[in-house]
Amino acid sequence: MDDLSFRRAIYTDPKTQDTDVLTAMLADDKKKQFSQEINQLDESIMQALNVPIPDGLSDKLILRQSLANHQANKRKSRIHLALAASLAIIGGLLLNFVQFSSAYNNLGDYALAHVYHEQGHFNNNSSTQISLKNLNDKMATFDGSFKRSLGKLLFADYCRFDGMKSLHLVFQGTTSPVTVFIVPKDEQLNFISNFNDNKLFGSSIAFKHSNIIVVADKNESLSEWKRSIQETVSFST
Amino acid sequence: MMTKQVRYEALVKALHGDLYRYAYWLCNNKQVAEDLVQETFLRAWRALDSLKDEKAAKSWLITILRRENARRFERKRFEMSEYEEATITDTQSITTEQNIENHWLREKIAQLPPEYSEPLVLQVLGGFSGDDIAEILSLNKNTVMTRLFRARNQLKEALADESVNRGIYNG
Repeated sequence: MDDLSFRRAIYTDPKTQDTDVLTAMLADDKKKQFSQEINQLDESIMQALNVPIPDGLSDKLILRQSLANHQANKRKSRIHLALAASLAIIGGLLLNFVQFSSAYNNLGDYALAHVYHEQGHFNNNSSTQISLKNLNDKMATFDGSFKRSLGKLLFADYCRFDGMKSLHLVFQGTTSPVTVFIVPKDEQLNFISNFNDNKLFGSSIAFKHSNIIVVADKNESLSEWKRSIQETVSFST
Repeated sequence: MMTKQVRYEALVKALHGDLYRYAYWLCNNKQVAEDLVQETFLRAWRALDSLKDEKAAKSWLITILRRENARRFERKRFEMSEYEEATITDTQSITTEQNIENHWLREKIAQLPPEYSEPLVLQVLGGFSGDDIAEILSLNKNTVMTRLFRARNQLKEALADESVNRGIYNG
């Protein structure tokens, strides 16, 4: 190894463990001396830079960190509390919304759901029959009356139609019972004049304060039912 | 599994000295150096989870410290000129021959262009390899090696001049 590259190597890193540099050093006393000089220089630099460390610096660093950490934790727990409170409020509002709002947005959907729900209770060939007087007593609640019977009335009672007090009538139909609802007008459910699904279909008639909804299977003539309802039902107000 | 707190305290105990010395060399002011080290360790605490390799901790901390130091200059540009004053006030603490030597050499190192002195300090004080220094300073290794060579070369020459001058004074 020539002198120049040796010096260069030592200047670059006096503590080099490069084998070429080490063998060159062993072979030449001058090189060895040079290396020692530069190592001495490094030692002096080390000394010069080795300023005393302030007392207790490490303790101060740890203290400062634990204080900062404590502050952060306090902030964090406040945030958590705020989060929990917000969640509780949102939960409350949601519960309110679910409980007091309708899951159905029009009369037809609700009527169909209602009919399906009570399907099992009614037998088309049931022998019970409710008199016209009995029916009109109940209709009085809605300020309405039937002029004559629409057919064999199997069932007539109040029920909850999406939370509203309504009259639920079941007539004998051709193949399955025909359901008629008398429902007070309400803004939550949109009026829909005709609706159906794959088994049933229905139609609504709007009166001044009430809606009448007929739901029947597809063997019935809905328009016939509609026409006779319009003819027989009258409201006093 | 060590907790974060234990890791942090181990890190502080092992490396605060090296960091303080490096910070002192950067800013030449005890108080500022201490502040820099505190800032560095606070940042280190926050980012401690990102430190995967404990062996890399020192260069990681030095990198944070250098960034903090740069931030200091962004905040207060006028502190750039503070350097000379700081070295002057430092002479008050000089008492022994060794201290005079140290002070003289510190000044010489400070007079080197910073791109030469920084790799030198990292190598001598930090004990970093050429590769480590290249990474910390975002330079390529050959550049680092050249700068290390020039830094020592210039210091050696300064030292030679000094002994000639001393010879004249003595004679």
